[in-house]
Amino acid sequence: MILTGPEIQQAVTQGDIVLDPFDPSLLNPNSYNYRLAPFIKVLDRPILDGLDCDQNPREIELPQAGMVFIPRRVYLGSTVETIGSDHYVTSLIGRSSLGRLGVFLQVSADLGNLGAVHKWTLEIVVAQPVRLFPGMQVGQVSFWQATGDRLPYGGYFGRYSHPVQSNPAVVCS
Amino acid sequence: MLVILTGPEIQRQVGAGRIIIDPFRPEQVRPNSYDFALGTRIAGYDDEVLDVSVKNRSWQQEIGPDGFVLWPGRIYLGHTVEVMGSDYYVPIIRARSSIARLGLFIHVTADLIDIGSINQWTLQLFAVQPLRIYANMVVGQVTFWQTQGRIELYEGKYQGSRGPTPSLSYHDFATTKPASVAKS
Repeated sequence: MILTGPEIQQAVTQGDIVLDPFDPSLLNPNSYNYRLAPFIKVLDRPILDGLDCDQNPREIELPQAGMVFIPRRVYLGSTVETIGSDHYVTSLIGRSSLGRLGVFLQVSADLGNLGAVHKWTLEIVVAQPVRLFPGMQVGQVSFWQATGDRLPYGGYFGRYSHPVQSNPAVVCS
Repeated sequence: MLVILTGPEIQRQVGAGRIIIDPFRPEQVRPNSYDFALGTRIAGYDDEVLDVSVKNRSWQQEIGPDGFVLWPGRIYLGHTVEVMGSDYYVPIIRARSSIARLGLFIHVTADLIDIGSINQWTLQLFAVQPLRIYANMVVGQVTFWQTQGRIELYEGKYQGSRGPTPSLSYHDFATTKPASVAKS
């Protein structure tokens, strides 16, 4: 089952979901709007390499006047909010207002892990050049009931709260 | 524990008025989803460079009998033939695999529909290769999911949509400048 907006709010109050900072005005009927943090990494080498240890990302701080993201690049952003739960499975997507402008917020990797509580890395890809602003509402996170025994989360990326590029040790494991 | 509705259950809930799919064709019911079709109108933006904080100028036209070619590097907006939604279940949309196999995205990371959003849903069409599409093609599937918790229905800015509806993201910037949004 998917949690309704009021149920998400109750779970945040009870400590079963972490959404920090939490603003009730960002609740939707069955999701919560997260915002775009100002620090972005760009993978703009001509050929990316799945076994490269650091991918040499270029780091950018989004200016208040915004920045035009261009097609055929992967930009790694992150959420302003620390997001996660030991109780509910997280699914992270964009928003239709951004989708209608051709902005992807992840690249077929929407499913979170139980127990991973951090500022999530966003994989931003655009269909057309588009200006985005730091702090704007860019996507939504939903929470789902789980059934079965829980495996403690020991994943690689869950410890990070800034945009983190791919790690070959994870890709190849 | 019930989570996703089966096809027969979707049909039963349509009969009970708890799911709206209009027009509804029983032959489009699938084992755990319903196939929806592409409507007759298509839209896009006039300018190449878009800005989330302003109203981007857009065009809209009919898809003729010869179809309409989608080109890579552009975002297009289509719409569902059906008016769809539910006050009881959460809809999630995706492409049919036959469409995906042609490299066409029918949404851009926005598959989750708000409970209570009952509209002709706008489809965000993005083609990897040039692709000719036709009105009334069956392009996607909608699933319906059970909820946990008290329900507050969608009353958002796209309610009542008919036809392709361009982004209203600039509404987020109308009362608060980006600079002060970033501080919050």
